Amino acid sequence: MLKIEDLHVSVEGKEILKGINLELGKGEVHAIMGPNGSGKSTLSYILAGRDGYNITKGRVLFNGKDLLEMSVEERAWAGVFLAFQYPVEVPGVSNIYFLKAALNGIRKFNGESELDAMDFISMVKDKMKALEMDEKFLYRAVNEGFSGGEKKRNEVLQMSVLEPALCVLDETDSGLDIDALQVVAEGINRLRDPERSFLIITHYQRLLDYIKPDFVHVLANGRVVKSGGPELALELEEQGYAWVEDKKAS
Amino acid sequence: MSVTHLPNAHYAGLIAADKSTLLGNDLAWLNSLREKASSEFADGGFPAPREEEWRYTNISPIEKSQFSIATDAGAVDANFLQDVLFDDCHHLVFVDGFYQADLSSVGELPEGVVVSAISSGLVEHEGLVKSLLDSVVSTEALGFINFNTALFTDGAVISIEENTTVDKPIQLAFISSKDADLNLSNCRNMIIAKASSKATVIETYHGVEGSCYLTNVVTEVVVEPNANLSHNRLQAESLKAYHMGGVYSRLDKNAIFSQYNYMFGAVLSRAEVHADLGEASDCTMDGLYIGMDHQHIDNHTRVNHAQPHAISNEFYKGIMGDRSRGVFQGRIIVAEDAQKTDAKMSNRNLLISNRAEVDSKPQLEIYADDVKCAHGVTVGQLDDAAIFYLRSRGADEEMAKNMLTFAFANEMVERISFLPLRLKVLEELLKRFPQQGMKIEWP
Repeated sequence: MLKIEDLHVSVEGKEILKGINLELGKGEVHAIMGPNGSGKSTLSYILAGRDGYNITKGRVLFNGKDLLEMSVEERAWAGVFLAFQYPVEVPGVSNIYFLKAALNGIRKFNGESELDAMDFISMVKDKMKALEMDEKFLYRAVNEGFSGGEKKRNEVLQMSVLEPALCVLDETDSGLDIDALQVVAEGINRLRDPERSFLIITHYQRLLDYIKPDFVHVLANGRVVKSGGPELALELEEQGYAWVEDKKAS
Repeated sequence: MSVTHLPNAHYAGLIAADKSTLLGNDLAWLNSLREKASSEFADGGFPAPREEEWRYTNISPIEKSQFSIATDAGAVDANFLQDVLFDDCHHLVFVDGFYQADLSSVGELPEGVVVSAISSGLVEHEGLVKSLLDSVVSTEALGFINFNTALFTDGAVISIEENTTVDKPIQLAFISSKDADLNLSNCRNMIIAKASSKATVIETYHGVEGSCYLTNVVTEVVVEPNANLSHNRLQAESLKAYHMGGVYSRLDKNAIFSQYNYMFGAVLSRAEVHADLGEASDCTMDGLYIGMDHQHIDNHTRVNHAQPHAISNEFYKGIMGDRSRGVFQGRIIVAEDAQKTDAKMSNRNLLISNRAEVDSKPQLEIYADDVKCAHGVTVGQLDDAAIFYLRSRGADEEMAKNMLTFAFANEMVERISFLPLRLKVLEELLKRFPQQGMKIEWP
């Protein structure tokens, strides 16, 4: 599904990612953990196609296609979804309109007809119910005045409506209390599918208590310094990031 | 400050021409009013760019274009008419400056309410016209007002009887026909909402696309004690036309006046929206202007807090694209006696092209010491983070920009309570910033 090969990225002359290699198979859940400043968020933005990053080396293949050659929207159409660490407020654009425009854009790309308005609304309402979101959020401007937790739920709602092939979750657990975390994690788990892969970027292990990854990678100083199974997350939790950073140094 | 700026030979000729065929030429008081305005225009002409109030708007193309007053109305397609007239309204239709009885339809009105063209009601309503005409105008666009007073061909006269509500809005549609090239349409409107009355008036301006003409219109409004008048103005002229419009109002004690101003058409346009506020009156001024291509759109507001305890709320939003230019000049004057005034003014602009320009100039003149006055001006661009966010969800770049631009304007659209007008404004917006499937979403 996703293959990252020797990816080097710099911002304003400073190298942030220093040769990342990562491969996600279909249906797999990978977690990337790492301390602040390790390059986790940079990696997520690179996958989504944000401006301002200089890719100096390497490539990223998504289902065999060169992801880095695709525009931001082409990636969305092809099935890449980034759940933002800081979802953007879009004043004046209602959630329902935004969701519908996004879904129809993707359906159009895939040669599917636009969804009927009534079918669309009832589908979205079902998904909101599962995420314990009030229907009033449909008619509010996207993320405007939402609490941190509401914004994160809204990201997962978008993800469940758009049904992407690759979900990249950037610090989705931040800003969530324990109840909200469980609801959001259940929402993500419901989306797990043999055809869908997840890249979960997180600083803490707590999200992984609810979403069990197949693989865990530790990112430090722009490199993957350690990869392993879910037990690696627990090890990190106990020993802290100093442990892997020391390990790298040795 | 009066600046001598003589009219050119063409307009001097128009103003000096024989007026014996003009509307109301058998009324001595009207003739003398027209003569006075003519002689003032002959001495002062149209405003010159060196006048402070006109420094951002140069009207020399109007002088050069030599527009002339038609002698009769041209033809209007039935489809065009159907498109511009709102459902659920009383309609007065003016074409090329002349009332068209056969295109108009005024339904049943409460007793004592007058909704008439001047041309068809001057005999019956002479006293009303005489009391209102030239009674509220102010001097900032004097050249255009004088020109209008001297030569107006027709217009509406509306009087809402005391303690009376007119349920359906009254639409005054001013249409420039397909024969209107180089036509100058000079209409004059008078509206009085008598004590404790309530009504909605909607002026709309339309022209056949591609035709070049000048609309020079003046509306005078009186809102008596405890009356509530909503006045809406939709300027959707041909994109080659010129539009000079003014709404001059006087609010008596406890009067409520809401003025909504939508400026979308014309290559060069200006709207003057002025209000003199009586004690404890409440004045709203909302505006939305959108310029594309080479359009120049000027909104010039003046709120005169002459008496204590009055409230004014002014909110104008503008979007400028391509090489367009927007001007907002908002003036609030708080007289020495106008204690406890509460005045707010906000002007927000969105530039969607790096060649577009906006000049925003709030002016507060406060002579009282116990008042609340707030004003703010912003000029911004689309938010790159929001564009990226929308694109990351599958909106292409143009779509993302259109969504955000539309959203900026939509705040004003949502304030329009009369649905047919709201849909018309929405239509103008969607023409410029198409939205995917928007028609379906709209309630």
